[in-house]
Amino acid sequence: MPSVKVEFSGGLELLFSNQRKHDISLPERVPADGHESGRPVDIAYLILWLRDNLLQERAELFVENDSVRPGILVLVNDTDWELEGEGECVLKERDEIVFISTLHGG
Amino acid sequence: MSCGNPTVETDALMPRKKKYDKTNECVRCKTSLGNIVIRHAVYCKECFFPLVTFKFRRALEPFVNAKPDGPRRTALKPKGNLLVGFSGGLGSTVLLDLVYRCYVSMDKSTMPAEGGKQHPRHERVWKKVSVCYVEVCDIFPGMKDRTPEVAQLVAQHDGLEFIPLRIQDAFDSSWWARAHSSPGRIDLGVDLTNEELFLNSVPSSTSSTPLESLRTFLASLPTATAMSSTINSLIRLLLLHTALDTGSSHLVLGSSLTSLAVSLISGVSQGRGFNVKEEMQEEWFPDRAPEPSSQREKRTGKGERSVRVIRPLRDVGRKECAAWAWWSGLRVLGRETWPWPGLKQDIGTLTKNFIFGLEKDYPSTVSTIVRTCTKVAPKGEASGICVLCARPIQAGIQEWKSRISIRSRSPGDAIDEKTPVGPSLASHLCYACHTTLTSTSSRPAPPFDATVTKSSLVALPVWVPPQFSEKEELFRTQKMGQEKMRNVVQDFLLDE
Repeated sequence: MPSVKVEFSGGLELLFSNQRKHDISLPERVPADGHESGRPVDIAYLILWLRDNLLQERAELFVENDSVRPGILVLVNDTDWELEGEGECVLKERDEIVFISTLHGG
Repeated sequence: MSCGNPTVETDALMPRKKKYDKTNECVRCKTSLGNIVIRHAVYCKECFFPLVTFKFRRALEPFVNAKPDGPRRTALKPKGNLLVGFSGGLGSTVLLDLVYRCYVSMDKSTMPAEGGKQHPRHERVWKKVSVCYVEVCDIFPGMKDRTPEVAQLVAQHDGLEFIPLRIQDAFDSSWWARAHSSPGRIDLGVDLTNEELFLNSVPSSTSSTPLESLRTFLASLPTATAMSSTINSLIRLLLLHTALDTGSSHLVLGSSLTSLAVSLISGVSQGRGFNVKEEMQEEWFPDRAPEPSSQREKRTGKGERSVRVIRPLRDVGRKECAAWAWWSGLRVLGRETWPWPGLKQDIGTLTKNFIFGLEKDYPSTVSTIVRTCTKVAPKGEASGICVLCARPIQAGIQEWKSRISIRSRSPGDAIDEKTPVGPSLASHLCYACHTTLTSTSSRPAPPFDATVTKSSLVALPVWVPPQFSEKEELFRTQKMGQEKMRNVVQDFLLDE
């Protein structure tokens, strides 16, 4: 079970009990229907896991079309998730994932 | 390889395209692994900071000296001080940090390497730097006042003066008196129910507070878009007048590339196409009388007061702003969303959602919007300055508007000769402001507060009445009744 650190910034923490940092444990593999085991846990799964388990209010401000809402920057170990394959980036033990909202404008 | 049928063969789907070009190495130093993708280009963290600082300086410094783009091999010498417009949002937080590092604390890491330590570039540019915040919470009941938080944040920066304003100052004659050392008046009102926008004096018996005047003005606006664009316009004018009050020759705003693209598209869709240039950058001459732009160019004097509005983050996208704030450990207070259902109908909000969605999948589009707008030149000449928003009015716009509009006159429009009709405000407004005040919608704006009622005569912002008293001549338009008209032309009538 990989344990990862998740941090919210730029106002996103307000959706998660106003708590910026969270240590969470995820299953090794994405639970799949039937007998086959699912794919390794990735960020796409983490986003949905956060929505279902930690998010307190207004899911539409965090998730859109099973990914993060446009305007949320995701860093995986201080690197833009676009360099890591976005939602397909497989999570490892002690990874640090930061979600930063940029929706506050000028 | 066959094209396949993607609906039944999932393997036939095209592989997702990478968000960056070539490798994941930094395109600048070509040695480190990248940390961020900026419009398909990869940068490492070490190269990211000089890149943003360079973009910031490039957008600001050519316009610091009075003669823009002039020779400035020696030093930056502005005519006055600097005012930073601060909203608490991401862009203005990054802007404040950059201004502080580059021009107040003189952070060496933000200085260009060439030129040596004694280069004039390393001297302080502005003698005084002020930060102005306009609080809008009084409009909406239940909204939090963030002034103390903003004051605390600004106080963390030594050498910056903090100027807190409230949005109702736009209707406060005492604020005007403080800012301009001349008595302010809010005794001029307008009838928003008539397209001609006839002016009339507000009876002194109706002694409203500035907040009441503001709320009545906003409640009388016809659409949700009108309300939000009016609030933004009031904030801009408050900042401009504060810049004048603080002796600032420059006003910098934290609009990022993304928010600039939003305001450009949203502005064009609200009829501000003629002011596209001003939306990017503008210079405001408060002492100039409204006159055609061709004559104005010839009259530019050396001692004339002016405020140059610059958006130094116009080449920096909001993703870069977010990364700068995160990696610099900046605290972003954030702008509270207005607790008002009308925001969903607002053109600005709809444009923002559209552009933000577009930027996620096509990051270069936002930059393309702004670059395209820099090439757009409005057709026609300016015939003056709008008394409400202080931006140029396109010549002949009211004639054009009346020519293309289809109106039906109801019996209620019958001329009442006994009621005195004041001069019309319409000819002193730009197309967008006139549309904002008069264009109705099938879906009227939901009320922001049930206790505020609409009024047939609403007071105008405090900067409007002085512009009318300064005019030597004021044209008065009044419709004549048939009897009166007959009397005037009686001598020329032929007997039947």
